[in-house]
Amino acid sequence: MKLFIEHLVQAVVDKPEQVRVEEEPGENATVYKIHVAADDLGKAIGKQGRIANAMRVIAKASAMKENRKVYLEVIGAKEDVSIT
Amino acid sequence: MVEEHNPENVNTHNITDMERGAFDIIIEMCQAMELDITPEITGSNPPYLEINLTGHDAAEAFGRFGKRLDAVQYLANLLILKRVGAEVRVVLDCAGYRLRRIQVLENLAREYAAQVKERQEECELDPLPAHERRIIHNTLSDDPHVTTYSEGVDPDRKVIIAPRS
Repeated sequence: MKLFIEHLVQAVVDKPEQVRVEEEPGENATVYKIHVAADDLGKAIGKQGRIANAMRVIAKASAMKENRKVYLEVIGAKEDVSIT
Repeated sequence: MVEEHNPENVNTHNITDMERGAFDIIIEMCQAMELDITPEITGSNPPYLEINLTGHDAAEAFGRFGKRLDAVQYLANLLILKRVGAEVRVVLDCAGYRLRRIQVLENLAREYAAQVKERQEECELDPLPAHERRIIHNTLSDDPHVTTYSEGVDPDRKVIIAPRS
């Protein structure tokens, strides 16, 4: 799921090389933190959160068997960090 | 994803390269979900490629959830647009969900149209995605008593059924 989210986000942003996904498995919930370049934050979330929401829905469907909660956060890099 | 489910079956041989590319994206998405779901091509109606999700987990994961089916379809078409091009789009179904939905929506449209005709008052439906609104419009396009239009912004866009003046 982590790789898949990474591929998907890379496909929709302008700076795919800055996309990084962290998977944090907790006790009863998994958190996916999606890091993107500051300028790409809107692209990764989509109009009215459409892309982020669709990814959430799929991540939830995928976690259906384990009965775990899934959280998905899209995080934009700080301006100064993104200039490398 | 179980290996022997990799679909080299049905009509995957006589499709175009673009449809193949689109289908590969669907396979990739199904594998990413780590459930036993196998996509099968059920029809090609350019630019639409119709795909049915089968496999042990498919009905449970998608059969009752239009939201999920629409989410995979939306992201798949986004990826297809980027990687393959605008000439092919996928329409996903699972366990006959779309067909059932069409029947439900057609019945709903006719029921509401009858009420609108009787009361001569506009009536607003619940928000529906674009392809489902189209079914309502198409069902009532020949009705001499009512006319339909949509109002609002997705995802809250609603069909309005109004008496034809």
